[in-house]
Amino acid sequence: MTTASWAWLVLLFPLLGSMVIAFGFRRLPDRTAGIIGSTAIGLAFIAGIGTLLGLLSEPSESRHVASSLWEYAGVGDLRVDLGIFVDPLAVFMVLVVTGVSFLIHVYSTAYMESDQGYSRFFSYLNFFVFSMLLLVLAGNFVLLIIGWAFVGFASYALISFWYRRTTATAAGMKAFVINVVGDIGLVLAAILIFRELGVLDYEAVFDAAPKVFSTDQWTVVAICLLLLVGAFAKSAQLPFHTWLADAMEGPTPVSSLIHAATMVTAGVYLVARTWPLFELAPAAANVAAIVGVVTLLVAGTIALVVTDLKRIIAYSTMSQIGYMFLAVGIGAYSAGMFHLMTHAFFKALLFMAAGSIIAVMANDQNIDRMRGLGKALPFTAAMLVIGSLALSGFPFTSGWFSKDEILDFALYRGGWYTILAIAGYVGAFMTALYAFRIVFRILPGRPCPEAEELIETGHVAHGEAVNPANGQPEDYEVGYPGKEHHIAEQSPGMRFGMLPLGVLALIAGFLQVPGVTEVVTKFLEPTFEGSSLAAIHPPVSKAWLGLLNGGVIAVVGIAFAWVFWVRRPAIPGSLRQKFHPLYELFVHKWYFDELIHAVIVRPVLAFGDFCNRVVEPFVVGGIVTGTTSLVRSAGALVRDLQSGMIRAYASLMVVGAIAVVLFLLLRGG
Amino acid sequence: MLSILLWLPLVFGIVALLVPAARAWVPALAGTALTLVLAAVVAVGFDPGDPGRYAESVSWIPELGISYSLAIDGLSVFLVLLTALAWVPAVAFAASRNAGDGRERLFYFMLLLGETATLGAFLASDLILFVLFFDLMIVPFYFLFGLWGRTRDGATAGGATTKMIIYTLVGSLLMLVAAVAVGFSAEEVSGKPISYSIPELIARGIGESDQYWLFWLFALAFFIKMPLFPFNGWMPDAYRVAPLPALAVFSAVLSKVGAYGFLRVVLPVMPDAAELFQTAILIFAVVSIIYGSAIAFTKIDLRMIIGFSSVAQLGFITLGIFALDETGANGALFQMINHGLVVVPAILIVGLIAERTGSEDLGPMGGLAKNAPIFAVIFLIVTMATLAIPGSPNFIGEFLILNGTFQVSVAIAIVASVGVALAAYYALRMYQRTMQNPLPPGSDSREISLRDALIIVPMVLVLVILAFAPQIVLGETGDAVSAVVEKVGQLG
Repeated sequence: MTTASWAWLVLLFPLLGSMVIAFGFRRLPDRTAGIIGSTAIGLAFIAGIGTLLGLLSEPSESRHVASSLWEYAGVGDLRVDLGIFVDPLAVFMVLVVTGVSFLIHVYSTAYMESDQGYSRFFSYLNFFVFSMLLLVLAGNFVLLIIGWAFVGFASYALISFWYRRTTATAAGMKAFVINVVGDIGLVLAAILIFRELGVLDYEAVFDAAPKVFSTDQWTVVAICLLLLVGAFAKSAQLPFHTWLADAMEGPTPVSSLIHAATMVTAGVYLVARTWPLFELAPAAANVAAIVGVVTLLVAGTIALVVTDLKRIIAYSTMSQIGYMFLAVGIGAYSAGMFHLMTHAFFKALLFMAAGSIIAVMANDQNIDRMRGLGKALPFTAAMLVIGSLALSGFPFTSGWFSKDEILDFALYRGGWYTILAIAGYVGAFMTALYAFRIVFRILPGRPCPEAEELIETGHVAHGEAVNPANGQPEDYEVGYPGKEHHIAEQSPGMRFGMLPLGVLALIAGFLQVPGVTEVVTKFLEPTFEGSSLAAIHPPVSKAWLGLLNGGVIAVVGIAFAWVFWVRRPAIPGSLRQKFHPLYELFVHKWYFDELIHAVIVRPVLAFGDFCNRVVEPFVVGGIVTGTTSLVRSAGALVRDLQSGMIRAYASLMVVGAIAVVLFLLLRGG
Repeated sequence: MLSILLWLPLVFGIVALLVPAARAWVPALAGTALTLVLAAVVAVGFDPGDPGRYAESVSWIPELGISYSLAIDGLSVFLVLLTALAWVPAVAFAASRNAGDGRERLFYFMLLLGETATLGAFLASDLILFVLFFDLMIVPFYFLFGLWGRTRDGATAGGATTKMIIYTLVGSLLMLVAAVAVGFSAEEVSGKPISYSIPELIARGIGESDQYWLFWLFALAFFIKMPLFPFNGWMPDAYRVAPLPALAVFSAVLSKVGAYGFLRVVLPVMPDAAELFQTAILIFAVVSIIYGSAIAFTKIDLRMIIGFSSVAQLGFITLGIFALDETGANGALFQMINHGLVVVPAILIVGLIAERTGSEDLGPMGGLAKNAPIFAVIFLIVTMATLAIPGSPNFIGEFLILNGTFQVSVAIAIVASVGVALAAYYALRMYQRTMQNPLPPGSDSREISLRDALIIVPMVLVLVILAFAPQIVLGETGDAVSAVVEKVGQLG
């Protein structure tokens, strides 16, 4: 089989899985949906391996394939095929997406077991994976936008999966609308690309761009900035980030898959995918890097103060994606993609562990209530610690190799990039701090009632569930974890989902040991062939020095966390007192929601209101009244003429119609 | 062939007048179904390379150069098909909810007369014939809205139809004058005997100074029919009172005749004027997009949301036409079809929702998806197509329109795209407030019946098929639309 056929299969399996589950939702016997869903993704992963082997069998200079099924839309010079483009970067993403998705599907078969919406869940989840793969494999900008929007739709459907909760539906709406704004950015970018270059296929665009654009010409900068609007919206970077924390309303496997491991990293992939454009627009690339750094700092500060377990991890995701944008913004493409991969491992793992904990806590996500879970959930606790170590960049874990490779690259490029690197190190310190804030607050200590019950009886019985956000009772019939919610780690499905990720979070870094392995860099080389920035390699000694920096910061950060939340638990409280305005700023998420409401939502509503109250009755309605009175006054003057005119006109129509009929009858049709 | 297609609905409408009231729906449904089959046969046999294939022409009033001539080409083929397709579910929906008021015969007669008139407007290749059908179109709807309309939110059937008829009459009279004048002007320019054949008028052309004022008479009539802001004064009340099946075809097809008129008549016959007033019309269009979207954004009445979102959509279509660009105009024609395909199910679904909740207001609703997953999925697909999610055919239409507009004015394209974002909100809110959130007491979440599914799903399926291959339509219409636009371009 050819490489392209394998790649089409990668797309086919999840789509098929989604459709089979959707159409068979009442006929499928109990829990088959989970098996079908997981199998479909497993098969997609195998097809991904087939694609990989197909590519590797080619010499490195011809490791890219374009393939098309049929002409999708063509008008004049504009021609869009239903086509894919396969190269090392795409395959890399395919493997990360399908691999992590498979584990999360398996985890979900257990996590969602008692949920009435079980089949619906897997149908959505498979559709999401299909959309994500379409985004990754698309061969032109239009198909990219379609995949891009479909993941947004799937994200909406899954955030508001428990659609009986008003908080969940509101969160879904917010995510969807912000993502549509991003889509519009991409659409305008594609239109501008077409106007300037006359093509929309990746290969043709990347070929033509250097011939048409000079460096930092305004058009190419505009294209890249529009692409970044899409990328920032999808990847929850400032100022388009506010939807991500609310998206935590979705079931935890969704947070793990979509809002940590895969979809939210699409923006990073987009920048790496379109590197030939970004290298022609260094100004836009710098914007990507700067926004990434600002986001990683802002998100880090919020993660330090919020108390909702899933939201802390969500802000951490924003922050980590900030590192990835820094990477692809400064040209450290393979480091950025590598961090994307390790982040997918440890962040998916952290969410799975969080899901396990939340299930025990009857969906209460407040870490203030969690205590002594280490003893109650030893397996989950181990996974949480592994994930947090990797997140903090503890030496020899995967996050250490990947994050510090990015910062090292920034340092090596020197100049003002040094500032970005230093900010990155500050962020790394905060990361270690908030990661172990979770660990030290919820694992050790005197067990909370749920943990105690679990330790004593091996089971937790929950009462009637209520939505902690607004106190409304949950509706089990439309899908919500049932009362007999089982304990995460006692289920083999959940363990099977978590364990491989735990191992990968620990050891995946060894793929990229400076001067020794560097597997990812070498594999991605053909994609970035011809890039002047990708050709920059910091010397091995510098790379190790960077790793040393990062390692020290991680260890110090963890030590501080230990002091704050184990040794001297009074310190955080007094810090909060001392820096009260800052604390308020952080805990209100820097007031972004309020800002967006005031700047965008309120003016639109006010405008709509104005149209309704003033324009409709007086302007639009004025035309009616004006016309009516005109006709009337004319009628008053020459009443006969007016009615005569209408009568004549009406009879003309009737006579005409009759004449036509008669004519036809006479002529025999 | 085209004559049979054109008069078939009316013939069945007359049959409906002759059978018992309770059975009047049978000939009506059979008539629309047969018309659909015939339209499909014509569409399949249509070859963009041989547009004259089905043309027929008979001299009618030779002294005035008026002929009864019909033709089908790339501009009209899918609009004819859309018309035939849209009428079937409308009649079926009405039949499934027979009023039992004893006036069914008249109802179906009017509905089918409306189909013949609409088909006539799309098929006419004589300008006067076009104008006649254009005017005839509104008559059955006047009766449908007036006799079967209900008083809602302070709008009475009588008041609403009076408003509608005054507006339409003004537009129609102006257009009739303009049409007659076009013939004289072309006679003068060419020195040949008067003719109202549209191809002949295009070939002859009319004087530049005549174009400038005639253009606005046509434009006004079309803007009223669509409607575009600020000529939408008749729309809210008409939408409030209208019986849903009639409203479905009215909104899906009749609004497109105005846009079609620009492509069929105005652009090719008055290219200089089209070029001169391009910017003015583009601004009209973009204001309609923003205005319609902003109002839909604030409304909670489902009919009003759909109505004002149509104003915005017709704004997009006008934008595409007056981009005077190949991609824009093709996108506009494609969008006319897509919008029709979306609106019919959307309006019928409003009926289904009202049956379940007793209301057409979003305020007291929610949770209908609970026992009705299939209903919810159907509505979800319609919603996503309404907001033109990439992957839907509507997206390709919008993409082409924005692409065309972008070539003319970057600023207008960017302002127009704000409408896209607003649509995402008001369309998704429609779905969310009806299907999701808690189910209030008194609302009945029941699954869509097999009968209703058979009425609604076919159009949704067409949307899904077009989502996979928009080229099915674009490939057939491309040449004809491009020819229209090139005609304008040649002069510039």
